[in-house]
Amino acid sequence: MRRALRFGVASLRRRPLLALAGWSVPEAVPATVSGLAVAHAVDSGFLAGRPLVGLGWLAVLLAAAGIGAVGARQGYRRLGDIVEPFRDDLVRRVVRGALRRGVAGQRDDGAVARLTHQVEIVRDAYAGLIVVVRSFVIIVIGAVVGLLSLSPVILLLVMPPFLLGLGAFVLTLGMAAARQRDYVRADERLAETAGAVLAGTRDVVACGAEDSATRLVAAPVAEQAAAERALARVQALRTVCYAVGGWLPLVVLLGAGPWLSRRGLTTGDIMGGLLYVLNGLQPALGTVVHSMSGSGLRFAVVLGRILDATEPELPVRAAATAPGPQAGYGLMLRGITFAYGPHAEPVLRTLDLDVAMGDHLAVVGPSGIGKSTLAGIVCGLLRPDRGSVAIGGASTCAMSAERLAALRVLIPQEAYVFAGTVWDNLTYLCPSAAPEQVAAATAAVGADRLVAGLGGWLAPVAPAELSAGQRQLLSLVRAYLSPAPIAVLDEATCHLDPAAERRAEEAFANRGGTLIVIAHRISSALRARRILVLDGVSQAVGDHASLLSVSPLYRELLGYWDAGRSAQPGQPVQPVRLVPPAQITQSVQIQPAS
Amino acid sequence: MGPGRRPGVHERQRDAATFRTVARHGGLWLPLIGVTALAGTAADLALPAVLGRAVDAIVAHAGGARWLQLSAGLITLSVVCDLVMSYSSTVCVADTTAWLRRRLVRHLLAIGPRGGFDTGDLVSRVTANTADAALAGPSLVSAITGAVPPIGSVVLLALIDPWLAGAFLTGLALVALMLRAFARRTADVLTRYQQVQGRLAALLAESLSGVRTIAAAGTVNREAARVLEPLPALHEHGALTWRVLARASAQAGVVGPLVQVAVLAAGGLALVYGRITAGDLFAASRYAAMGAGLGALTGVLAELARARAGARRTGEVLDLAPVGYGDEALPDGPGALRFRSVSVRGSGSGGGGGGAALLDSVDFTVPGGAAVAVVGRSGAGKSVLVSLAARLREPDAGEVLLDGVPVGRLRHSALRAAVSCAFERPVLVGERIVDAVGLGQDLAAVQAAARATHAHDFVSRLPLGYDTPLAEAPMSGGENQRLGLARAWRAGRLLILDDATSSVDMVTEMQISRTLTEDHGRRTRLIVTHRPATAARADLVVWLESGRVRAVGPHERLWEDPQYRAVFQ
Repeated sequence: MRRALRFGVASLRRRPLLALAGWSVPEAVPATVSGLAVAHAVDSGFLAGRPLVGLGWLAVLLAAAGIGAVGARQGYRRLGDIVEPFRDDLVRRVVRGALRRGVAGQRDDGAVARLTHQVEIVRDAYAGLIVVVRSFVIIVIGAVVGLLSLSPVILLLVMPPFLLGLGAFVLTLGMAAARQRDYVRADERLAETAGAVLAGTRDVVACGAEDSATRLVAAPVAEQAAAERALARVQALRTVCYAVGGWLPLVVLLGAGPWLSRRGLTTGDIMGGLLYVLNGLQPALGTVVHSMSGSGLRFAVVLGRILDATEPELPVRAAATAPGPQAGYGLMLRGITFAYGPHAEPVLRTLDLDVAMGDHLAVVGPSGIGKSTLAGIVCGLLRPDRGSVAIGGASTCAMSAERLAALRVLIPQEAYVFAGTVWDNLTYLCPSAAPEQVAAATAAVGADRLVAGLGGWLAPVAPAELSAGQRQLLSLVRAYLSPAPIAVLDEATCHLDPAAERRAEEAFANRGGTLIVIAHRISSALRARRILVLDGVSQAVGDHASLLSVSPLYRELLGYWDAGRSAQPGQPVQPVRLVPPAQITQSVQIQPAS
Repeated sequence: MGPGRRPGVHERQRDAATFRTVARHGGLWLPLIGVTALAGTAADLALPAVLGRAVDAIVAHAGGARWLQLSAGLITLSVVCDLVMSYSSTVCVADTTAWLRRRLVRHLLAIGPRGGFDTGDLVSRVTANTADAALAGPSLVSAITGAVPPIGSVVLLALIDPWLAGAFLTGLALVALMLRAFARRTADVLTRYQQVQGRLAALLAESLSGVRTIAAAGTVNREAARVLEPLPALHEHGALTWRVLARASAQAGVVGPLVQVAVLAAGGLALVYGRITAGDLFAASRYAAMGAGLGALTGVLAELARARAGARRTGEVLDLAPVGYGDEALPDGPGALRFRSVSVRGSGSGGGGGGAALLDSVDFTVPGGAAVAVVGRSGAGKSVLVSLAARLREPDAGEVLLDGVPVGRLRHSALRAAVSCAFERPVLVGERIVDAVGLGQDLAAVQAAARATHAHDFVSRLPLGYDTPLAEAPMSGGENQRLGLARAWRAGRLLILDDATSSVDMVTEMQISRTLTEDHGRRTRLIVTHRPATAARADLVVWLESGRVRAVGPHERLWEDPQYRAVFQ
């Protein structure tokens, strides 16, 4: 709450704010004049039998409204000058924050909603708060000035209960904010639990756990209802504050009426006083109470969430230590261990791997076994829990994102094509590429037909209209053009047909430099010079022939079945005998042929 | 139901029925809300007239204590009614929402996975739409009582003096014309603003989809600049909305008081001619202010529309028939499974089950206690086949029998105690690991299942072991699969593994399948697999091809067929 308010106040731009305050002076005219004009219209006009005088005073009321309108018009423009830059600032924060988080590997499903929905809520609430606070101040000042000139006694009668109600309301704000936060939290917990349970509908039904799953959701449902009731109690308290501040002055004024009248106050004076309360102070207080507890709390809570999600983070990679001199681009992994959580079983365990310059390595293994994790570690996107990764003898941990990008290029499974021209997309990693280079790369990867079909290099690309395979082809050309000597294809050809996949992989093999392929099809392994077989607890490296003899998993992935070792059907079956994992890794520490 | 489609008769009847049911759930709260709303409104309407009398009495030095007491009483009544009404309608909405949410979740689980809803969509139905639907009762009451103050005040104006009502309505017509013009202009400007905003959001979504490429290329700042390119345009359109608002508020600043002044002028003249008193004039100015509340009626109607929309979204789900269970118990038996000419059609693009055949006259028998591998290329119908055995969906034709009883005739408890299913991507549901795996079983049973599926070691390493909250236990795909298998381990007669160990490393997978084969004869196992070694260890292989059974037999015999071998490559 405090942080959001601080942020909001700090974002008030000085010049437009001063201009806004300046234009508030004419805007205060109607509030000041209204009761006074009505009092005079009644006393010296209509009651005195002089209708023209009465109408004249009413014309003054209209004129005051006109002056107020000019002020309002200019005021709203200045409001835009304050609110629009504030919104721009939020949009920048949200976009940068989302991209930085994404790059750091944190999934952020709410970013787009934050950009559209939440930013707009905060923008509207911010503007609303400025308007309400400003008009409250205008009306109160106007009413005070008007009452002073009408009769100071009325002011003395009216103000104490009004201030009492206002003060009491301000005191409830802290509690209201706390209740509102509880309510939002209960809402989120409910959405979370309901999401988890409903995402598992199949599993819940398959286990016959409908009752316990319903109970699981029932807990946050009850919690949410309790939070809503607590909110209703705060709201009741606010209604009492409003009654004290808005209605009590009226009762006091009426009660004192006979006494005031005996002291010589006229009908118009009393009516004017009542109107200042009923048309001025009371609705002003009502608006403040309503909008502070509505958009004010919404502002604090939603802005708080945006700030939480976009708080400036540590730079993506801290280049604290110099990476050291680098010679060539031979890749060396030593003792790599990586787990998805601090207590999870590692998916990679003490992995040693050397990939010499110009080598062609395929990585195979069952799905979910850690192949993409290895690609992330090789590329310096993930940090291993233990062990080191070096390119050309220099540690990747200490390299800047730019330096890493100059050494290796990663083509992930989810190809990234953005709305722009074909040319922009192809030269994304090599903006200085010459047309001949781009043409050669396009032809080599086998994307020439696609590029021609899209309408050539200058044609705009609509990513949503491309198939997954077409997107992969474009991003393959892009990676091919990258100056980085090491190319890592992480199932980057999974949406291509086998022939297209073969052509693309061969293009990368002949590109010069190192090629590492996380294989989607086992055929990728057969094209590679060396193969790494990953199996969770163990890993084996070697060429096709050596792996066939030492790795039962490799044999199985190739579709071989160890017929001789299985028992007859219908009888207890013996598992295929395995070489202990440690032995596999040791037996195939083959150095690459360079 | 797509937003563009017009609801048919059935949908309209259903929506109205849902609305009524929800409104009726308000119970005794609704009359309370209605009575307090009406009493408060009556007090509000009477107050200006009484205040006017009080003013007249004060001026006439006629004591007027009675009028003063009456107005103080009316104010108190109005405040108390407001308090009671707003509190009771919030509580009514809160209770109804909670009731509706529990009902919806229970129903969704009864429908099962074949509802075909997206999880995000369901979550918004359970959270947002139920809260809207719960407004049904109070919004109906406030739609009725909300119209009373503005209409009543116009009537009372006319009672004081018909000219007053005439002046008021003329002024109001002016305001309405102006508001309409404003709404049109704002809509145009807002549409352009939202278009730019949509472009920004699309650019961000696009960049986030390629976040791995961007991370590797080190181009975060370039991407941020690219996404933010439309921001100046957004600023411009935003400034335009303020300019429109500035003009409108200037007009409102003139036209709004115009209504008030029109009534005061007409009243003033009436005062001159002695048709009304000064107190009447005061009352008239108040009624004019209250009558301006006619505009707020649209808000009440909007709330009613929201409640209707919420009721429709809730009703759409409640309308789907849940999976029915029979009431038969399972006779003693070894767990023999029989598919009798079972066919399943896809939902197809047009809906209504007219799609291509997912399974076509599948017919086979599995002897009780056997381990059966189900193999086939992707899309051959393996998962559909096992989901029939687990009764996660129903066949369009034919029958699935367990120990001679069609699974649809079994009691819920009997079916779920006998059959369990482990999935390739299990979703663990529960607060802690022990809840998610045990689903009510005691810790010893959970530990035994976890040991059998080689999940015990890594669960023991978690900070709170089996009591660790799921959210605090990030797991690899293989670990998740092993817990999913542990959850299904309780199956009494038929254990189904739908590619359930695909991410488990080979050594562990073999140990698990040894455990599976060691309890040979205790229960039937149906194992969907891509691995030839797993098929080889099974007693029998069901080979599916394009929804039909291509062959049933032992792996060794099928292996002679090159097409069978091709399934595994």
